[in-house]
Amino acid sequence: MTQNRNKFIKLLIGNLSNSVVHRILEKSISKEELIDKYRKEFIASFELAKRYREKINPIGTQLSEKNSWFIRNKVINRVVSELLLRISKGYENIDINSVEFEVDKILKEIGVV
Amino acid sequence: MEIIARISKGSKMDQIYIPKQRNILDIGEYVTIKPLVLENNIDRDYEKFYFYGIRKLEPIKITIIKEIIRYINKNTYYENIIITGSFLDKGFNFKDVDILLISREKVNKHLLENSLENKLGIKIHLLILDNKSVRKGLETDPLYQSMISRCVAVKRIAPINKHKINYKILDLHLLKSKILVDNFDILDGKEKYDLIRNLIAIHLFLKGIKVTIAKIHKEINLLLKHSVEEIKKNKIDKKSFLKKYKKLYNEASDKILKGIKYDSKQK
Repeated sequence: MTQNRNKFIKLLIGNLSNSVVHRILEKSISKEELIDKYRKEFIASFELAKRYREKINPIGTQLSEKNSWFIRNKVINRVVSELLLRISKGYENIDINSVEFEVDKILKEIGVV
Repeated sequence: MEIIARISKGSKMDQIYIPKQRNILDIGEYVTIKPLVLENNIDRDYEKFYFYGIRKLEPIKITIIKEIIRYINKNTYYENIIITGSFLDKGFNFKDVDILLISREKVNKHLLENSLENKLGIKIHLLILDNKSVRKGLETDPLYQSMISRCVAVKRIAPINKHKINYKILDLHLLKSKILVDNFDILDGKEKYDLIRNLIAIHLFLKGIKVTIAKIHKEINLLLKHSVEEIKKNKIDKKSFLKKYKKLYNEASDKILKGIKYDSKQK
């Protein structure tokens, strides 16, 4: 059971990170067709993350402080490293300062905090 | 309320007669005329279904496809219906039936999905897009290409003329496959296969090759030294597999990020 819980937490972290990366990249571009694509990808990752969240107890209420901090830190680190990689390769207009805000927002939306 | 009427032959123009005693359709009102498609047409039209990348399909699956099409035909307007995904694989190991409904009209996705599920007792995954988005997707998205490479369609799918690489779209698809590196131990065979297929589809697309399921499977064998069956059964040696997978992932990622850099310099 614990093993399953850890599995779902890891998968939740992966998909939440992808969702936040998509959300921040969406804001960095101006092409409407791409914005739409990012939004769709954000929704796909977010829906997957929701599915994993529904498998982690307690369902319907926020996770323990220890769990939620663990998830928050992992997601922030992953998002930052993905974005920094893109900035180093010339990706423009990425707002790295918005990571914590976006992560906190998504964690609230999904019921982690 | 609606009126069903028959077209009758006229001398100069054909006409449709409707009763004088009616509550709707006043004189001078504009109306839309469209054919009332009879259910039997589906059986008659069956010979006209288009099979792409499929050699053989179990008769029971054809019956299911006919039922799906009959139901959609009765309940909504469409330009094409495309059945794709694992439902078309040999055997009965599919989780759901993937349906791509091409329509320019607004369709209630959840309602249609739920009613099809209730009718057939099979999980349905419905994707609704307009024709323009599908064409654009086929030109720029390896996943669309692989989806269409093996399918059953009600109408013929026009071949793709252009192959456009949009690095930002590929970047976002590739990101999904990173989950495999970080979560190798906890993913099951099917989940691993999906992420590997995604990476290989991007890899082929970047080479300018038309992406098909057959080509993806061939490339998996060649580059990752594992058969699709082994992957689906989760019989992979982690160390050697991840080494090859990471190499491929990094190569694709480097190409994409270089492409993004080049594109931004061009502006």
